[in-house]
Amino acid sequence: MDTSIKDFEAAIAELESIVKKLEDGDLSLETSLQLYERGVHLSRFCHARLEDAERRVEVLNERGELTAAPADLGADDEAPGERGRR
Amino acid sequence: MSSLFDLPFEEPEPEPVHAGAPLAAESPLARRVLTIAQLTAKIRVLLEGQFADTWVEGEISNCRLWNTGHLYFTLKDTGAQIKAVMFRSALRYLKFKPQDGLRVVARGRVSLYDPKGEYQLVCEYLEPEGLGARQLAFEQLKARLAREGLFAPERKRALPVLPRKIGVVTSLDGAAIRDIIKVLRRRYANAHIIIRPTRVQGDSAELDIARAITAIGRVRGVDVVIVGRGGGSAEDLWSFNEEVVARALAGCPVPTISAVGHESDVTIADFVADLRAPTPSAAAELVVARKDDFVAGIDRLSRRLDAVLDARLHRLESRLRGLEARPGLGGFPARLAGHGRRTADRSHELRRALNAGLAARERRYRTLQLKLEGLDVRRQFQRVRTRLVSSDASLRSAIVDHRHRAQQRFLGAAARLESLSPLAVLGRGYAVCWNADRTAIVRSAASVNAGERVQVTLREGELTCDVVTRTPARPANEA
Repeated sequence: MDTSIKDFEAAIAELESIVKKLEDGDLSLETSLQLYERGVHLSRFCHARLEDAERRVEVLNERGELTAAPADLGADDEAPGERGRR
Repeated sequence: MSSLFDLPFEEPEPEPVHAGAPLAAESPLARRVLTIAQLTAKIRVLLEGQFADTWVEGEISNCRLWNTGHLYFTLKDTGAQIKAVMFRSALRYLKFKPQDGLRVVARGRVSLYDPKGEYQLVCEYLEPEGLGARQLAFEQLKARLAREGLFAPERKRALPVLPRKIGVVTSLDGAAIRDIIKVLRRRYANAHIIIRPTRVQGDSAELDIARAITAIGRVRGVDVVIVGRGGGSAEDLWSFNEEVVARALAGCPVPTISAVGHESDVTIADFVADLRAPTPSAAAELVVARKDDFVAGIDRLSRRLDAVLDARLHRLESRLRGLEARPGLGGFPARLAGHGRRTADRSHELRRALNAGLAARERRYRTLQLKLEGLDVRRQFQRVRTRLVSSDASLRSAIVDHRHRAQQRFLGAAARLESLSPLAVLGRGYAVCWNADRTAIVRSAASVNAGERVQVTLREGELTCDVVTRTPARPANEA
């Protein structure tokens, strides 16, 4: 993962500020292209982070161990429109 | 207001009296007549001795607060009632307001009021029955924690925008966990949920809940915790009003959301948590936005990003066309025409690329950037200037060379000149004799007179000499 990006929140915030800067700034072509490149990079990072989380439900037991959640909790039910994603 | 107490005591069912008068007459010596005061005193001793500290429950009625600050009311249950008073001194410690119809537990002493021959309960303490007592405890804990600052707005932490792992502290048996999972799945299909099961009601459930909060707060990657349970009676929800749960929430290293019961249920946990959700489902909705919304938000930003650069690009294109059209850009028009065509092609490709996604778009911009650099007038000037600067440099070095060579030549010539100089002869031991004011060299003895002064230049230094005698040369020597 890109270490120049702290987290999802920071990425969104930076992307917003880049867009703003490009929109109201009279920047050189060079700077604009650099910012654009960074912006594209950030938006890819955000998309990646959204897919990043593991679709999983676990139970933390008394001994501090993580185990799969019982099936009857509905954790494995596919949400509508989600079928076939996994 | 008519009260039963304004009426005389009802006469009990009359016992059959055999003979009232004869009985009295039978034992005149045994007769002992008391005054009312004496009798009342005896009754007082009995009553007050027997009921000095008594707990009694009943329903409040005829409740009146006198302007002396004392509260007068009647405690009753089916078939019986007792007058009661609570003095101002005791009343002010009461957490709730006594009112008609309220069932209470009272603690007090029975006291006799001689002038009226009435007894009443002097209450020291009152508490509402059942939930009421707990309500009192609730209010007390709430006030104490508030004083400590546990509910302060500045303590509230913001939830992460996109949690990595969502912790849930609740029972595995209830509906709450199913609701939470269902909602999270719908909004954010690939949410990672970690449940720390706990009892949520019953004996010492609060200890379980507190331990669970502490445990889940330590799990790596968990950056928000939902604590709650589904709806139930006030007693069922009570564990979430316990101090130990409040402390665990306050000590949780990551933000917490309380989700206890229904909208109308408010617990101490709600005040301490960073965010209160009205229900477990609502908590799941608060904990993460819809993935679709995230995607839409990012795409909106991406589109703006592209639009800005597109606009920039169009400006550059029109500037290019302006350059193409400009006469007198000597040397350039042919090249510009070529570039212009290719740039137009590029622009066309670029527009196609805009639809083909970000990656391609980025590459195109790069390519176009290079093209534009080749055509940018400023760049051209830059190039000329670079050439100027470099020729300037070579000129400078040529000058330096030239000067150097000239110097060498000069020095050589000087050396040669010096070897030819008559002065060099002096080195060999000759001297030069000048007239007194050094305007002419004395070549002939005849040109000076005895007693005249002359200057003599040697190889090193000068002499000032007086002519003592002169010997004109013989004609033979002059040759």
